[in-house]
Amino acid sequence: MSDESALMSLTSVAQAIAAKHLSSREVTRSCLDRIAKWQPRLNAFMAIEADEALAAADAADAALAKGRSGGALHGVPLAHKDMYYDAGKVVTCGSQIRRDFVATSTSTALQRLKDAGTVRLGSLQMVEFAYGPTGHNVHYGAVHNPWNVDHITGGSSSGSGSAVAARLTFAALGSDTGGSIRMPAHFCGVTGLKTTYGRISRAGAMPLSQSLDTVGPLAQSAEDCALLLGLMAGADAADPTAASAPVADYMAATRESIKDLTIGVPSAFYVDDLDPEVARILEETTAVLKREGANIVQVELPDQRQLTAACQLVLAVEAAAFHKRWLIERPQDYGAQVLMRLQNGLTIPGVSYLEAMRWRGPALSAYLTAAAGVDAVIAPVAPVAAPTLAESDVGNAPDAEAVIQRLTRFTRPINYLGLPSLAVPSGFTKAGLPVGMQLIGRPFDEAMLLRIGAGFQRATDFHTRVPAFA
Amino acid sequence: MTKPTAKEIKAMADVAGVPVSADVAARMANSIGPAFEGFAPVAGTLPFDLEPASYLLVQAAEVVK
Repeated sequence: MSDESALMSLTSVAQAIAAKHLSSREVTRSCLDRIAKWQPRLNAFMAIEADEALAAADAADAALAKGRSGGALHGVPLAHKDMYYDAGKVVTCGSQIRRDFVATSTSTALQRLKDAGTVRLGSLQMVEFAYGPTGHNVHYGAVHNPWNVDHITGGSSSGSGSAVAARLTFAALGSDTGGSIRMPAHFCGVTGLKTTYGRISRAGAMPLSQSLDTVGPLAQSAEDCALLLGLMAGADAADPTAASAPVADYMAATRESIKDLTIGVPSAFYVDDLDPEVARILEETTAVLKREGANIVQVELPDQRQLTAACQLVLAVEAAAFHKRWLIERPQDYGAQVLMRLQNGLTIPGVSYLEAMRWRGPALSAYLTAAAGVDAVIAPVAPVAAPTLAESDVGNAPDAEAVIQRLTRFTRPINYLGLPSLAVPSGFTKAGLPVGMQLIGRPFDEAMLLRIGAGFQRATDFHTRVPAFA
Repeated sequence: MTKPTAKEIKAMADVAGVPVSADVAARMANSIGPAFEGFAPVAGTLPFDLEPASYLLVQAAEVVK
């Protein structure tokens, strides 16, 4: 019984606690039980704060008993990627350098979830400084995929993907600079929302690339992501890049039909060189959407390869600038791959970086013109399902960047354009590994993606499947 | 815009104040080279009056819609 409430969706468990059908303690205990069972196998958590979590759950229950609700997520236990500053807590950023860093402020995104009443379970593993797509971490060990522990989770939100998939937390914050929410969502079989650049404040979130970083959730379903987005989105005085664009009713959007919506399948790039099983699942996904009433059309997008290259230039330079002091003072404290990739940014001329930044407007405009006739574009998150940990453990080998680029080639263009993208579990390979598709939308139109994602999830059960503890 | 050689990368890293060995420079050239090549069709072609902030204008135009 204790194990069962951890399997509920975020939305369901929040309603159950609010209605006093379940106590926060019961739910928190259920998550902690699963964490105790799975953690030795997955290494998904950076820190587990069982006693504090139960004390907070008791406080939440006591408040509710007195008629005081903290908000939409009152008493719901969550854990997040270990890069969201939480005043008084160690925030390692997956690194040796910040192993003992204690945050003195709380990130806006996290604070808004706290204000909604969440209980902290601990913190989740991640790739060192969020700079890598596989989930390896030389300092804290790789995170394992709960569907097959010999395979990667994807990164950099590796712990978030693994923990949500194994139902150790109902949802988790990730961050997406080059695919770091969508990759683990795809590889681990959960729903992940990369938000429009500026939709959620980045204040108090560890920076990697100020022009590309986005905050977003990983959760079981589009509905759960909608609930979280509604709580976190909006302007923030602490982050001048947080947009003041109106915050939609995302939950209402998930209840709308997808009938007569038009979804575009790219004619090139995103459909090139796909693993046959990923290609099959893309076809099956569009068939489901069509059956649900959506119109599926082909869409010709501008050359996405140049967007990928531009993204790499911007990311490399901005990351190197953030890390410059430590690159000089503490190079020995970085993992080899992260060090090499940070050093890359030192070698890109300022003019090249600024050309990549200047091109962003015309590139976005060209994309939006090409996609003007569709409500969203659908594409694979990656050309393959999760590789093994061994085959993707490339460190700083000569072909390391090539391996990374292959994995992230479908996600980086979206970061460069700053578009929202929802990764949705869409099927499984014959070997039992999940495969996700990404729905790509127009700036600030997360509501449309959540609407389509929820419509797809009403017609399928991939998002409800739970890996067996075998 | 051409892909930098390992020798050029070594020099640039030195100028940036983070010297690297010849071996590391070779790895970096291999690593970052494709980004230079991929962006080459765009580099040097942008119009004079284009500023990075044009991105925010395009994004904001979507909100107005």
